[in-house]
Amino acid sequence: MLALIEGFVHPALVAGVSLASVPLIIHLLNRQRHRPVSWAAMSFVLAAYRKTRRRVQLENLLLLLLRMAAIAALALAVARPFTSTDSSLGGLTESRRDVAIVLDASASTGFREEIDTVFERITTRAREILAELDGDRGDRAHLVLAGAWPRLTAWGDVKNSLTVLETIQDPTDEELDLAAALGEVLEFAREEAASTEESRVEVRVLTDLQRGSFYSRRAQPEDGEEAGDLADVLDELALLGLKVVVEDLGPVAPVPPNLSLASLETESPILGPSSPVDLRVTVANHGPDPKAAVRVALEVDGERRPSQVVDVPPRGRAEVVFPLSFETSGPHVARALLEGDRLAADDERVLVLDVPDPLRVLVVNGAPAAEVERDAAGRLLMVLEPTGEGRFSAAGSPFLPDEAKPREIESGDVDIAEYDLIWLVDVDSLSIDLVERLEEHVGRGASLVISLGGRVLADTFNDRFYRPDGSGLSPAELLRPVAVASRRDNYHRVSAFDATHPALTLFAEERWKALLTEAPFYQFYAARPLEGSRVLASFDDPAGSPFLVEREYDRGRVILWTSTIDESWTALPTWGPALVPLVFDLVRYAGSGRERPTTFAPGGTFAAEVSSFPRRVELTVPGGSRRVLDEEPLEVGPDLWRLPAIGGHQTARAGLYRLDADGVDPIAFSVQIEPSESDLSKMSPTEVSGLHPALELRIPDEGAGDEEDDLPRRGRLWRLLALIALAALVGESLWAAWIGRRRRIR
Amino acid sequence: MSTRIESLDPAVLDRLSHLSLVARTVVEGFMAGHHRSPHRGSSVEFQQHREYVPGDELRRIDWKVFAKSDRLVVKEFIEETNLALHLLVDASESMAYHSGKWSKFDYARWCSAAMAHLTLSQRDTVGLVLFDETGRSKVPPGSGAPQRQAIIGMLEESEASGPTQIGSVLNWVATRLSRRGIVAVFSDFFDDLDTILEGLRRLSFAGHEPILFQILDPQEVAFDFENLTRFIGLEKTGIQKIDPRAIRDAYLEEIGRHNQTLARQAQALSIDCLSVTTTQGVDSVLSTYLAHRTVRARGGTR
Repeated sequence: MLALIEGFVHPALVAGVSLASVPLIIHLLNRQRHRPVSWAAMSFVLAAYRKTRRRVQLENLLLLLLRMAAIAALALAVARPFTSTDSSLGGLTESRRDVAIVLDASASTGFREEIDTVFERITTRAREILAELDGDRGDRAHLVLAGAWPRLTAWGDVKNSLTVLETIQDPTDEELDLAAALGEVLEFAREEAASTEESRVEVRVLTDLQRGSFYSRRAQPEDGEEAGDLADVLDELALLGLKVVVEDLGPVAPVPPNLSLASLETESPILGPSSPVDLRVTVANHGPDPKAAVRVALEVDGERRPSQVVDVPPRGRAEVVFPLSFETSGPHVARALLEGDRLAADDERVLVLDVPDPLRVLVVNGAPAAEVERDAAGRLLMVLEPTGEGRFSAAGSPFLPDEAKPREIESGDVDIAEYDLIWLVDVDSLSIDLVERLEEHVGRGASLVISLGGRVLADTFNDRFYRPDGSGLSPAELLRPVAVASRRDNYHRVSAFDATHPALTLFAEERWKALLTEAPFYQFYAARPLEGSRVLASFDDPAGSPFLVEREYDRGRVILWTSTIDESWTALPTWGPALVPLVFDLVRYAGSGRERPTTFAPGGTFAAEVSSFPRRVELTVPGGSRRVLDEEPLEVGPDLWRLPAIGGHQTARAGLYRLDADGVDPIAFSVQIEPSESDLSKMSPTEVSGLHPALELRIPDEGAGDEEDDLPRRGRLWRLLALIALAALVGESLWAAWIGRRRRIR
Repeated sequence: MSTRIESLDPAVLDRLSHLSLVARTVVEGFMAGHHRSPHRGSSVEFQQHREYVPGDELRRIDWKVFAKSDRLVVKEFIEETNLALHLLVDASESMAYHSGKWSKFDYARWCSAAMAHLTLSQRDTVGLVLFDETGRSKVPPGSGAPQRQAIIGMLEESEASGPTQIGSVLNWVATRLSRRGIVAVFSDFFDDLDTILEGLRRLSFAGHEPILFQILDPQEVAFDFENLTRFIGLEKTGIQKIDPRAIRDAYLEEIGRHNQTLARQAQALSIDCLSVTTTQGVDSVLSTYLAHRTVRARGGTR
């Protein structure tokens, strides 16, 4: 019989069959327990024994066999044997079904076609599949709601799955990570197959067949590559002998029409209040037909701005730009809207524009001159606080610079703690106390820029600012001054720079590059960068001495400028308009530590830090509902607290999120759906089947009825065995009662 | 295991003593009924006088005494009968079985002692044969107090052992008994019926009157064992492990058939066969039987 059984769900429990020997052992032990009696009428006993021997032996044997059979059948039933349908026992088995249903709940399934949305079709189909199952027979259902991450919403019980399904009304705003969802299926398929080497879980993926769900963004089908993770999971499932049945419940058209707001972003960083900023809205047309006069509306802080109209070519994009300016610092909310179409999720985007306060800059003038024009600090102040018109006019300046002399800081007349950025200009020496205060201030998140000059001595500088272990502020050790012999005949240039650095991106453009690389430098300090620091630009001297070196110092940032700001060591200030954008971007970059990202994909994690203790943090989510966060803020530094991280399920919905806490300014961020969800192009059947052998496309309306016959079933024997055990026990009881009555002494 | 005869319960002895009159009648009945005395009309010895009671035969009134004392007295004589009682007691090992206080052999000894006591009290002769497969020991027929002591002494000393062959013993006894009389056989008769009956026939043809006392243990009749039992056959008849409940019906059928056949064949030979169990009182068994015989001797049907 064992040859007819394919395996056991719990093979270790098969050992329980040995318990069938217990009745036999008891029988044999009882044979040893016969009470001896000397007997006279032995001839009659022997005659009676001879007469009844065969019948009694048969009765006892049958009783013993019934007892052993009951125990053996019960032990086998507990071990849960199963057999294949082609086994001779196939007819005696019943087929229990394990069905894993992956519901595509990505944002694209919100597409409404005729009456129903695609997601409503998906849930309806899931209900149909669940209705085919019989919980009493032992069928099990696994519901996986698949978005950016899989949610195993129901496991096991069919009725429970149906109940859970009733509670699922809307799709998520996420994109579909099919690999992760199938990975979840793979986990319990492995558990199921752990004892049997082969799982019989039926895997159904109910999806809109959106192309983007089956291919990674980096490896589109024309590249001839599959999404790596998905292929791996499908390989694993195939190894378990599983087929993934993909049911197409998406729109009828292979390329459904859809207009979306592909992006909503500022063209440049917002520098501060009153600083102009352009808000760019990109409209994408994913359909095959052009869309004319598409109206794009914009709300800023709830106030409607004049809408704009744009024509969008088929499968193309168009942009509109809204010029904005904010009078006050803090978070501002921009909401772009399209006229509603069949997929509403991508017709609105929200962007939080965090307008920073003006950056307070303290210029420490180490070598004040009689005339401010000849003063390096004065030149720097002119750059930071221009008086002209245009982008860098005073009205639009994001900086609030002040000037101070070292002694003013030493004396405490000027408090460095009030400044976001401190620029030491040719400062020869500072007291140890002031250096320590600087270290503390920078460690808390402020920025420090050190530019050199004639007053700076390497030894003094290194003594105050440099330590080989990195505990000093300087990102490099000053070595010696390097100067050209004759300024008429020779000079140094910046030979290399990091074009990707935010402070130097302007010079990445070829037309502006020469402003930096051709500027003459006559003198600078050779320096040895500290390990871990970053050289942003370097000179063309044989040693390739650094010009700009940057390092992170705890929560702050330090930049070393190894030459001067003024013309004493370099012609940079007069070499075209190079100094202004370089200093401007350098300062802006140095002060950018205050900025925090305000836009996330669904499920993204937002963790804000505030400078005063936040009490009773309340989260307002899209739709307006509010919730007080239970977690306590974490103190991460002096006067610095980190709010509880918000992510995962908390940020699953697209829209505006707002954090309010007592004693802290409101904080806002937005979640935007992935633009890829707007492209509803579908996979063709051949593409699906060609993607991986384990995938099998099925359209529910076409021959859905005979699908069950194609699926391998696992024949369950345990109920039959339990019945046999029960029958054997009943038979044993009746038989024993009958024998007992017959043998009872009358 | 054997119980001393003299340690009998006095109450039992007392009850047995009341059997004397009955025994006398019995003995008379024995002889008057079937065995005519070869010494008829001789040797009548005067024993005593007693008061006349209505019903006494007039010819027994002693007229001489009446003439002298004017009292009606009756002369009583010791009548010598020709009764000889032969007691055959089965002393084989099977008789040693007992589920209660007494073994079958004890019971047989009681009965035979009682019979001897009664008979000797009437000055009749009694002989004893203890047998297993042969006559193991015997006390030749005799009378008087010494005979009583001899019989009881042998009964007390004997023990149940050895196999049984009742039929051959009966055959042997039939050839050895010179004086006809009553042959009372005390046994369980767990032996081949054909040989037993053959022996009985020979005894009957020899002019003896056999009386069979089949003594059984109550357990042998009921067979109400509850537990699994290893039966060890006395007289080396084998060992068998068995569930007694499983064979009870068949056992009762077998032993019932054996006993019925014995009783039926005995009846066919006009032999009394009395089946008793060791829980029955010896006195009541004997008195009942003797009363039954008395009735029969006085004209009742046998």
